[in-house]
Amino acid sequence: MSLIEMRSITKVYRNSGFETEVLKGISLDIEEGEYVSIIGPSGAGKSTLMAIMGCLSLPTAGTYTLDGEEVEQMSDRRLSRVRNEKIGFVFQAFHLLKGVSAIDNVMMPLMYSENVPKDAAGRARAALTRVGLGHRIQHTPGQLSGGEQQRVTIARALITQPRIILADEPTGNLDSKNGAEIMAAFDLLNAEGATIILITHEQEVAMHARRIITLKDGQIETDRRYENLPQSEAGPAGAGAK
Amino acid sequence: MRIFRNLRQALRGLGQSKGNTFLMTLGILIGIGSLTVIVAIGEGTKAKVLERIANMGFGPESFSVIAGSGRLFFARTENPTSMTLQDADDIRAMPTVRIVVPRQRVSIKAVYRANFTETRVYGATPDWEEARGWVLSDGEFFGDEDMERKRRVIVLGATPAKKLFEGEDPIGKKIRLGQVSFEVIGLLEEKGLTESGYDPDDRALIPLTTSMSRLLHQTHLDSIKVVAVSPEKVGEVMEAVRQLLRRNHNLSPLAEDDFRFITPEGIMQWVTQSEQALNRMLILVSTVSLLVGGIVIMNILLVSIRERVREIGIRRCFGARRSDITQQFLFESVFVSLLGGVFGVVFGLGVCFLLERFDLLPTRVTWEPFALAFAFSSVIGLVFGIQPARQAARLSPEETLR
Ligand SMILES: Nc1ncnc2c1ncn2[C@@H]1O[C@H](COP(=O)(O)OP(=O)(O)O)[C@@H](O)[C@H]1O
Ligand SMILES: [Mg+2]
Repeated sequence: MSLIEMRSITKVYRNSGFETEVLKGISLDIEEGEYVSIIGPSGAGKSTLMAIMGCLSLPTAGTYTLDGEEVEQMSDRRLSRVRNEKIGFVFQAFHLLKGVSAIDNVMMPLMYSENVPKDAAGRARAALTRVGLGHRIQHTPGQLSGGEQQRVTIARALITQPRIILADEPTGNLDSKNGAEIMAAFDLLNAEGATIILITHEQEVAMHARRIITLKDGQIETDRRYENLPQSEAGPAGAGAK
Repeated sequence: MRIFRNLRQALRGLGQSKGNTFLMTLGILIGIGSLTVIVAIGEGTKAKVLERIANMGFGPESFSVIAGSGRLFFARTENPTSMTLQDADDIRAMPTVRIVVPRQRVSIKAVYRANFTETRVYGATPDWEEARGWVLSDGEFFGDEDMERKRRVIVLGATPAKKLFEGEDPIGKKIRLGQVSFEVIGLLEEKGLTESGYDPDDRALIPLTTSMSRLLHQTHLDSIKVVAVSPEKVGEVMEAVRQLLRRNHNLSPLAEDDFRFITPEGIMQWVTQSEQALNRMLILVSTVSLLVGGIVIMNILLVSIRERVREIGIRRCFGARRSDITQQFLFESVFVSLLGGVFGVVFGLGVCFLLERFDLLPTRVTWEPFALAFAFSSVIGLVFGIQPARQAARLSPEETLR
């Protein structure tokens, strides 16, 4: 059984009478420990797919099984718990709480855990140190650069030790140097065993993954694995596609 | 406990949006503040009214019968002529009646040399003094002989005495009422203005017989004051008087009374009624001000939720349940309401203090506004917090972050 199992997922948005089918039958499996990129042009449905994977919204049709549990059957309570324990999100726009210190932002997910660890603040501090922000824990997002803010969000995504990291265009708002640092962080996390699903429209960023899924117009166009290659040298054309 | 964590998030949230917190607190402050002031004014006014009734000279065993239908001080028929000395004598014959004072009353110009003043002149019997329990400050009251001889003697209240004599000793002096001259034989002790501005000292008394044959030239009475042997008998006596007067005045069973009663109880009832009306109005006013405060809170919460949709979405992404968001917003509004309640009470007490200090309105501080403020502000926080809180929680995390 895979960590993520999607079968014929569709998503239809209904707005004032008219319907847009954004996802048109997506089926895919993702195993524990995989490093996956989802790539595709703007408007292809990447973010919509990620929202469904992250239990932020439910599919219109199809079944989504996460870690053996059917998401459609879950209550709001259960969904919240799954988001809290199994998934860590990283967004293009950071989505940090305004005016709240880095450490409080990182600690926030722990506040919604079943059991708040005794040393929540210590864990948050350690997570920030790990992303190189140990000296900035009291800074608010406004006092941090874009790259630093994104590192705070990575610390926040890690704090509950989730099975899956979902990142939607994490480098989209960053310059190339900061982008490279963030990608290095994901690479490390994956090397340590985390499942990483990375959404991007940049080839170069996608190449960090071992598997690249191309989404176009709400459907999977290609799904290729690139095994045992040093990521920085890999390219989709030259790599040993399966 | 999850609930305490949400409380902490709420307090943090309030600290981060100080402008909104301030406005919401202000809204509740104004509501609770005016509630405190209004209740205090209501209580203060009630106390003054009760004091005034006590000053009106009604002992618990006395009442007055006034000619003309109506209620208390408010006549429905003008100048009835049906009440006579015969009525007064018949009432006096009742075993449970101690004193009966038949009276005539006229407003007339009193003149002493170049000074004059309009005052209320009562024709009464010598029993008036005892029935009313009003002490003289000088001279003496008229007696039976003055009545028999229809003497032109007068007892002055403090107000006409001052206005006419301006410090001169009035005893033994002659004044004129219309064309009739009277000798001043006594002065009533001064009572002073009542709260409402009524001047009980603006009056004079002459023998009823003199009033009938020399001043008013009429024999019907304007009122009869009755003192029963004891307070418990008052009801019984009033009913007997009613039957008697209806018989004497030949009223058919269907006709309404052509007289009315003024009793301490009646006044009390009347005061209580107007007090209730006043209270109702005050409650209305303060409810409106509280509602305004509540609506201010609700609107600010709604607006701030629109501003904070993103925050809600972020929290939901990382594991906040709907109930966590609801609780957080509820705590925020309840906390703000209680804060506003406390400051509102303090503010209200300050206003009360100033009103008393500068003698603007009577106020009396009681414990009720505190309890009310506490209850009301919690209720407002709950009621007006629920809607925005639920609205905030219903949003799906995906939508809120788009
Ligand atoms: N709530 C919505 N209502 C209607 N259309 C939507 C809604 N959300 C997304 N879409 C549409 O769905 C398509 C895919 O959106 P999205 O998943 O954000 O694409 P991507 O992330 O690949 O750029 C877009 O055309 C977008 O306009
Ligand atoms: Mg997108």
